[in-house]
Amino acid sequence: MELLTASTGSYPRVGSRPEQQRHRQTYAQWERGEISSEEFERVQDEVIREVIEEQVRAGLDVVTDGQVRWYDPISHFARKLEGCEIDGLLRFFDTNFYFRQPVVVNEVRWLEPVIKGEFLFAKKVSSAPVKPIVTSPYTLAKLSINRRGVGLAELVHEFARAIAQEVSELANAGAELIQIDEPAILKDQNEFELLKNALEEVAASKGKAKLALYTYFGDATPLYDKLVKLPVDVVGFDFTYSPGLPKLIARLGCEKGLGLGLIDGRNTRLESERDVIEVLKLIAPTIGGKRVYLNPSCGLGEYLPREVAFKKLQNMVAIAKKARELI
Amino acid sequence: MRGKSKKLGLELPLLPTTTVGSLPKPPHLLEARRKFAAGQLDAEELHLLEEQATREWVALQEEVGLDVLVDGEMYRGDMTTYFARNLEGFKISGLVRSYGNRYYRKPIIVGEVRWRGPITVEWWKFTQGLTRKPVKGVVTGPYTMMDWSFNEHYPSRREACLALAKALHEEVKALAKAGAKIIQVDEPAISARPEELPEFAIEAMRTVTRGVDAYFINHICYGAFEFIYPGMLELPVENFDLEMSNSELDLIELFREHPFSKDLSFGVVDVHSHVVEDVATVKQRIQRALEVLKPEQLWIDPDCGLKTRTREETIGKLKAIVGATKKVRSSLKESSKPAYQRSE
Repeated sequence: MELLTASTGSYPRVGSRPEQQRHRQTYAQWERGEISSEEFERVQDEVIREVIEEQVRAGLDVVTDGQVRWYDPISHFARKLEGCEIDGLLRFFDTNFYFRQPVVVNEVRWLEPVIKGEFLFAKKVSSAPVKPIVTSPYTLAKLSINRRGVGLAELVHEFARAIAQEVSELANAGAELIQIDEPAILKDQNEFELLKNALEEVAASKGKAKLALYTYFGDATPLYDKLVKLPVDVVGFDFTYSPGLPKLIARLGCEKGLGLGLIDGRNTRLESERDVIEVLKLIAPTIGGKRVYLNPSCGLGEYLPREVAFKKLQNMVAIAKKARELI
Repeated sequence: MRGKSKKLGLELPLLPTTTVGSLPKPPHLLEARRKFAAGQLDAEELHLLEEQATREWVALQEEVGLDVLVDGEMYRGDMTTYFARNLEGFKISGLVRSYGNRYYRKPIIVGEVRWRGPITVEWWKFTQGLTRKPVKGVVTGPYTMMDWSFNEHYPSRREACLALAKALHEEVKALAKAGAKIIQVDEPAISARPEELPEFAIEAMRTVTRGVDAYFINHICYGAFEFIYPGMLELPVENFDLEMSNSELDLIELFREHPFSKDLSFGVVDVHSHVVEDVATVKQRIQRALEVLKPEQLWIDPDCGLKTRTREETIGKLKAIVGATKKVRSSLKESSKPAYQRSE
């Protein structure tokens, strides 16, 4: 197998060192109206450069812009789509992070690029390939309050149409691999058809880009055989919730690329080389020559202190290096 | 459950009023805490200011007319970090993002968790010494401590939670020994992973409360009860303190389906809103609760801790609670009279 290391999404924008507090300080100043939006934008750009540089320094093969401009994975999209208003804070799955819940009041429509600008900037300043990330239509619909007067299926379809447009923009902007984040399906597995329909719609506009569907915050074992048949090129799994997954993959194999979330993105404990390599050895025979990504189980930006995030990535890269020698 | 409180010698009126635990710190105390953190103020000076603020809140709670008082947690920062700093086996992490531009430091379990000695007992004694009304002991529960900490030591969430339960049992025992008859265990995270409730969360609470002669309240907030109800009734406590006003009272419907078998501290004012509810609104909420609960089951309080509100908002909300409760009490008395004696 071809083993690459990748970021799974967000990266901490604030750290313990005084110079790493800049984002937090200017954010507060901007909220109080003490500095202009341009000034805050400039600082965010600097922080994006820094977090990309940190990921490259850790040795990652594929990086992200750290989602530094995102308030959260849900409202970042809903804010720019027609038909959505933004409501109060709600806990994001079983984490200690909170997102602003969208309220869908009208037909959801794509108006303008949401993250294309972020992607182009990151691509320009990064020496490693950059993976843009969009939130899956199903997760967006599930985490929204539906005041639209239509059923969930229709709502998922409207979000799918919007995300398809965004994916097309990203592909045209040169994105080679686009990640679609789909935590919600692991909580409502009987709504799988809705996800499938949505992804078919999104996949139709991917152009030359490859799509990676990343699931997390739940046990993916019961859905594994369905997930790997979806019209995407890579499927990502959160192994911290799915203890039975390595054996299942070894047994059923996988026709697609895999995102192996073997690095716990929500705990400070560093992974042991032995544990990770054991899983890689177990699944290697069924993978053949296909590409797999070793990555954290989720984005790190909301769950780990910056110092730990960096160490986690460094450790992951060292494990991958060892695995390439051994397997 | 009233049997239990009577047996403990607690004299409580019908519909006892209380607060969840935290009350706003006065600005000069916040400033003092900042100075202390920066090494510009010594621990003794800070302690004196915390005592002063506690005295003020006890006097205010009495003045408003609450039935069960709290110390207001003038000496606590974050509810998890406070206990983590005072138990063995913890370190505190760097900054972790909570939402928007808000960050917090998270405890890290790095070794065996052990109780080093009383954590909140001196504060409970100090506060109880200021009033004849009962003062609640308040501790953060084992499940929440586990869920809101990183774990570098224990092989599983279950083992971390049960180790915390053992340590917190010692604290609860010490509170009861000091004389606390009402002990609240805060478990806002308990519905984080519903499958863990039967797997180990109930067992952990059993470990915390086992053999301790006190009336236990379990405070739960941030919604998602529908996933753990009615299973949560298995938790070995007398009273559940639930956030009701902020969840638009939809739990009432749930209780129609599965009757609530314990006492309930019913959150009737929203702690996230600057708006002070009026007596009529609060009274209406209490009356809705009485549609599915007996008066003997019901306590009245805010949704959650009030520390993020101003002093004036807090007093306003507490007055609304006490005022509305008094009205409901007297109408209950009226309706229990034979028809010919009723005033209307």
